[in-house]
Parts: sequence; C-alpha cells; structure tokens
Amino acid sequence: MKDQAVRSRKSWQLTLIYASIGVLLLISLFPVYWMFIGSVKQRGEFYTSPPVFVPKQLEWENFGRALERGGAKGIKDSLVVAGLSSLLAIVLGSLAAYSIARYGTGGDNLSFWILSIRMAPPVAGVIPIFMLMRYARLLDTYSALVLAYCLFNLPFAVWLIKGFFEDIPADMEGAALVDGFNRLQVFWRIALPLAVPALIVTGLFCFIFSWNEFLFALVLTRSRVTTLPVIISGMVGGHEIMWGEISALSVLTSLPVAALALLLQRYLVRGLTLGAMRG
Amino acid sequence: MNRVTAAPVKGRDFNSWIDKRLPVLFVAPVVGILLTLAIGPLLFIFITSFMSWELVSAAAPQFIWFRNYLNIVLDSRFWNAMKNTLILLVGGVGLQLVLGLITALLLNREFKLKRVVTSLFLIPITIAPVVVGFQWRVIYHESFGPLNYIIRMLRLGNGFAWLADTRTALFSILVAEVWQWTPFVTIVLLAGLQSISPRVYEAANVDGATPWQVFRRVTLPLLKPTIIIVALFRVMDVFKIFDLVFLLTGGGPGTASESVSLYTYINGFRYFSMGYATALAVIQLLIVTIICMNLVKMMKVRRA
Repeated sequence: MKDQAVRSRKSWQLTLIYASIGVLLLISLFPVYWMFIGSVKQRGEFYTSPPVFVPKQLEWENFGRALERGGAKGIKDSLVVAGLSSLLAIVLGSLAAYSIARYGTGGDNLSFWILSIRMAPPVAGVIPIFMLMRYARLLDTYSALVLAYCLFNLPFAVWLIKGFFEDIPADMEGAALVDGFNRLQVFWRIALPLAVPALIVTGLFCFIFSWNEFLFALVLTRSRVTTLPVIISGMVGGHEIMWGEISALSVLTSLPVAALALLLQRYLVRGLTLGAMRG
Repeated sequence: MNRVTAAPVKGRDFNSWIDKRLPVLFVAPVVGILLTLAIGPLLFIFITSFMSWELVSAAAPQFIWFRNYLNIVLDSRFWNAMKNTLILLVGGVGLQLVLGLITALLLNREFKLKRVVTSLFLIPITIAPVVVGFQWRVIYHESFGPLNYIIRMLRLGNGFAWLADTRTALFSILVAEVWQWTPFVTIVLLAGLQSISPRVYEAANVDGATPWQVFRRVTLPLLKPTIIIVALFRVMDVFKIFDLVFLLTGGGPGTASESVSLYTYINGFRYFSMGYATALAVIQLLIVTIICMNLVKMMKVRRA
C-alpha cells in the first residue's frame, strides 16, 4: 500500500516536472515561432486583432522581396565580413595561443591583457576606431569591419584555442623535438593537425559573433557595405514598417547561426564563457 | 668543399634561431594588431576625454581638463541612463539566474528527448540581438501584438503600449533580455550541476536528507563558483547593453529606457561631441575593468 502511494507521488512529481519544462519551452520558443509565421504572413495579416496565430496560406513572396530590398547584398556582405574576420582570428589566434599555451609567453599578464580587451565595452572602442578608420579612409569598406572585429575575435580565439592546446598532451611534441624537429616543424606537423577540430569550433564561434554584431557595423558602414543586422535595423526605422519582409530577413539571418550553434552544442558552454567552464 | 659543410650549419642556425624566437614571433601579430586597435584607441579616448571636441563645429579641439567629467557628474541624463542600466543589470541578471537555475535543475535528469529539448532551449541565444529586438517589437505591438491579445483574452486588462509607455518601456527591454540570455545561464549551470559527483548525493540520501535540504546544503554550495562566474559574465554583458535598447525603444519614450551605452553612442554619433562621449566611455571602461578583475580572479581560482 505504502509502496503504491510513494510510486504515485513519484509519477505525479514527474508529470509536474515535464509540465514545467513544457511551459518554459513554450515561452522560450513562442517568439521564434512568431518570427517564422511572420515571414510567411500576408501584409493584411499583420493588422488584425486578434492576431493571426496560424496563417491561412503561406506568403513566400516576403523572402523574394526581402532579398531584393538589400537582403541579398546583406547576406553577401555579412558572409564576407564574418568569414574573413573568423579566418584571420583563427590563423593569428592559433599562433599566439600555441605560444602562450606551450611556452607561457608573456605569462599571465599577456593572456589576461588579451582577455580584458574582449571584455571592454564596445561603445568605448567604437568611437576611436571610427576616428581611426576615418583618417585611414576605410569607412564603409570590408577592411574596416574585418579589422574592427579582430578586436573581439582575436582575444576570443586566443583564449579558446589556448585552452584546447592545454588539453592536448605535449609528450609527442617533446619526442619530436628530441628527434631533431625544430619548434616550427613541431607546431606545423604535430600540434596544429591535432588542433584542427578546435580551430573549426573557434572559427564558427567567431563567425556567429561577427554575423550578429551590430554597433560597429552601424557606425563604420554607410551604403557600400551593409551587413544583415544594419539592414534589419534600417528597415525597422523606415517610414512604413515592412513586417513580412523584415521577418523573412530575420529568418534568413537566424537560421544559419542556429544551425551552426546546434553543431557547436557540445562546446557552447566552453565558448560562451571563453573557456572558463569546460562544459 | 666549404659550401657543402656550410649548408647543414646554416640549417642548424635556422633551427636554433627559430627555436629561440618562435614563442615571440607567434604572439607578435596578435599583440601588434591588438596594440593598434586597443591601446591606440585607449590613449585616444583618454586624451580626448579631457578635450572639448565638437565634430560639427569648425572650432579646433580645446583642452578643458576635467570639465567633461564634471559635466557628467552634473548631468541628470547620465544618472538616469546609469539608473536604467542598473535596473536592467540587477533585475535582468537576477531573473536570469533564478529562471536559469530552475530550468537547469529541471533538465538535470535523464528523460526521453533530453538532447532535443536542451537544444530547443538554446535557440534564443543564437539569434542576433537586432532580430530579437524586432521580434519583440512585433510581440509588444499595442493593437496587433500577441501579448496584448493574450492579456485581453485572459481579461487581465486592456494591455499596454509596452514600448511607448514610460512605465513599461524599460521593463519590456528587460523581459526581452531575460528571454534571450536565460538559456545561457541554464546551460552553464547545467554543466556545473553535471560536474557534481553522484556520490555526494548518495551520501546525502543515506543520511536521510530531504530534497530541499540536499538542494540547500549540497547542490547550492557546490554550484556557487559556477553561479558567480555566470553572473559576472551576464553582469558584464548587460552593463554594455545597446542593441536591444536601440531596436526596441531607441532609449525612449524621452529618455525613459536609455542605457549608458546608448547615451554614449548618441553623444558620439548624433551630437558628435567627441570629448563628452569619450569621457563617458572612460567611465564605463573603469567600471567594466572592476567587474572584469573580479571575473578574472574567479577564473584563476577555478583553474588552480
């Protein structure tokens, strides 16, 4: 009898837990759902009360119009900027990370100085970098954004890759040195191949940060370079808000990143805490 | 003959040269770029913060010592922005910690579809803040938004003009911020929970502890370092909040929801007062440095 009571209390508790998870998930996903249906709603369906929770027919036209009104160029520019800056970050970052992880170059001071740059408020960096790019006549170019994004991608890459190198045992590298390899060969032939997955993970994180970045893109570009967040923000600020088109562009902006994040799920904790938590 | 022997010597020279120089050569590019992009600008904002420099006026920049800082101290709009930022900071991070901990505890058990459910919870983190801002604008819309519709449907009232009302604008930003970043707190705390050895719980169960006692006396103390780290990360991020405020309210109505970052941006790129804006930037830099130093201390403790 008592056993049964305990068991029924247990199953009641379990139901409660599942129900709570369900409610939290619903709240968490509702805005995402709203974005998706917004991207396939017809113009009129945005101006009804009660709002349209399930669109009657799917208006894919929104995507076409969004791409025409700067969306296509936005995707291209975002890809170029995010791609180049991530590449730069992992190439240069892996060198510095290796040096710091294996040889303790610069000691704690160097690595925490690098970290502190990552933590600094972007608004403090954007004013001087705007002036710098203005004098260098780089405003509204890819270079301006790629360079500016180094400011947070490089420190991030150094820290994350450094953690990965610290995880790889140095025994093999030591043996290779004894065998007459020089340190450059050891890095190139032994350490780097082992770190390839780490570099990919780091690169994807840098890509996401750059893809989503807004403040620097807003300040450093005008019309020749327009990344997706700037386009979306511009469309929101327009005279007549094109709800469907902006929603479609939002979906196009979010989907690739969400997909990448799923790939990275195992490393998400580690990446977002700059290696402070191993996850 | 000499040349033949010279080659290996040269090779050895290169080997010993590269062995000696490699550590410095490898950090040089990163340090070089960061010096240019960070230390240069740091000096720039520090010096500019002592000047009166209006980009729109023809007058040359003038050295005015501490007058910018003095003006900031007397600037009620700055203190208002500071107050708003602190409300977002305390309220936002507090809510994220509570909700994040609850979700983490709920997810910290085996159940079917656990991986899928956890992935679904993570989606908000990945969405660009600009997109989050736009989506919540749609949700908060006074006449056609789903939020007010639900409120009216449940007969809780007529709803609000969430973003246009001084009483609700800041709170609306806070909700969107909590929505986006609670999952981050959740997964970090979940990682922390999973690193607690099951033996500790077994021991507690043998001693006959109630679930609440286990939570209070075992889980929470063991989770404390993780909670502090994740809280510091969030505090640092929320202090810099810009995108969401810019997209949702633009700081309005009036200055009701203006954050310090946004106020700095407005001074720099709408009023073009470089001196005043950089002085504001220096102040924020100091505050973030203090928070950052604490975070670094925690990270070093964890490593040790």
